[in-house]
Amino acid sequence: MKKAVTFVLGVAFAGLALAEASDHITVVDPYIRLGPPNVLALGAFMTLKNDSDKVIRLVKASNPVSRVTELHTHINENGIMKMRAISSVSIAAKDKAVLEPGGLHVMMIDLQTPLREGDVIPLTLSFDDGSEKVIKAKVIRPVARQTQTGRH
Amino acid sequence: MSDRILGFVALLMALTVVGLALFWNPIPDDQPVPKPGLPLGGDFTLKSADGPVSLQDFRGKVALVYFGYTFCPDICPTALVAVADGIEQLEPGEKKNVAVIFVSVDPGRDTPEGLKQYTDFFHPNIIGVTGSEEQVRKVARDYGAFFVRQAGVTAGGDYVVDHSADIYVVARNGRVVDKITHGSTPARIAQAIRTSLRVK
Repeated sequence: MKKAVTFVLGVAFAGLALAEASDHITVVDPYIRLGPPNVLALGAFMTLKNDSDKVIRLVKASNPVSRVTELHTHINENGIMKMRAISSVSIAAKDKAVLEPGGLHVMMIDLQTPLREGDVIPLTLSFDDGSEKVIKAKVIRPVARQTQTGRH
Repeated sequence: MSDRILGFVALLMALTVVGLALFWNPIPDDQPVPKPGLPLGGDFTLKSADGPVSLQDFRGKVALVYFGYTFCPDICPTALVAVADGIEQLEPGEKKNVAVIFVSVDPGRDTPEGLKQYTDFFHPNIIGVTGSEEQVRKVARDYGAFFVRQAGVTAGGDYVVDHSADIYVVARNGRVVDKITHGSTPARIAQAIRTSLRVK
């Protein structure tokens, strides 16, 4: 009996240990926004959903085509847009973080090769517990939002 | 006696009516009063890939003036995509009377040729221009635009440029008549252009 309990507990703990942050994150509609042929940086956008009870932080993103990949945000100070690198993007428990033009985004800087419409680039997302998730982001031609961005 | 006073009052009223009819000249409806907070703007000449470009070259058209830079990885593309979409929502007759002037506030890195490649991606009506640091600074000042370089903000570039992201709308007569804030919809941009086209 004692053995059985130990076994069950062991399995339960193993299960907990296995449920890494990346297992709780679902990435919806990831894409890279196509830019003019001579731009050195492109933004990647997506929605990150967290189905766990704890806040999860996206701490890093990387990709094989740009020299640097950073997490960025925009601060709108009286109409002046300030782009800043940030150390992490928080995804609240049972909530989501939206990375979209004009706000939070993954910035791919110093592209080694120009990207074309339709290219699919793997993005590796790293979370605060060290777990990772690789997603595929397609390069798409930008379309304008038809609704006002109220957050800015 | 009271008849005299009445007569005098009647005369005064009649004179007032005649005077108003002759001299009162209200602002016509299609001439919007400049909104508070709009800059004076004014003419400028800067360099494009196809030679010098002056605001005056667009008299008779509505010109949208935007300050940005090609390294600007998110805000400028977002604004230019919205502007391009806004122009596409206009009638063909209106469309040909709209020009967008993208003034680079990063003359150290942006060349007229690079700007052309950049703006062509978004819409053929957009013209990229730049000039010396001093020239660009003066134009920005005239339009109430603001920009400042921030070194070391990202690992990629040497610097990014914090900049105001409003779009200034210049009517056919060369006057600034509207300011479109960042994040506006293409519909709002199209409407601003349409209204400004009506300003004589």
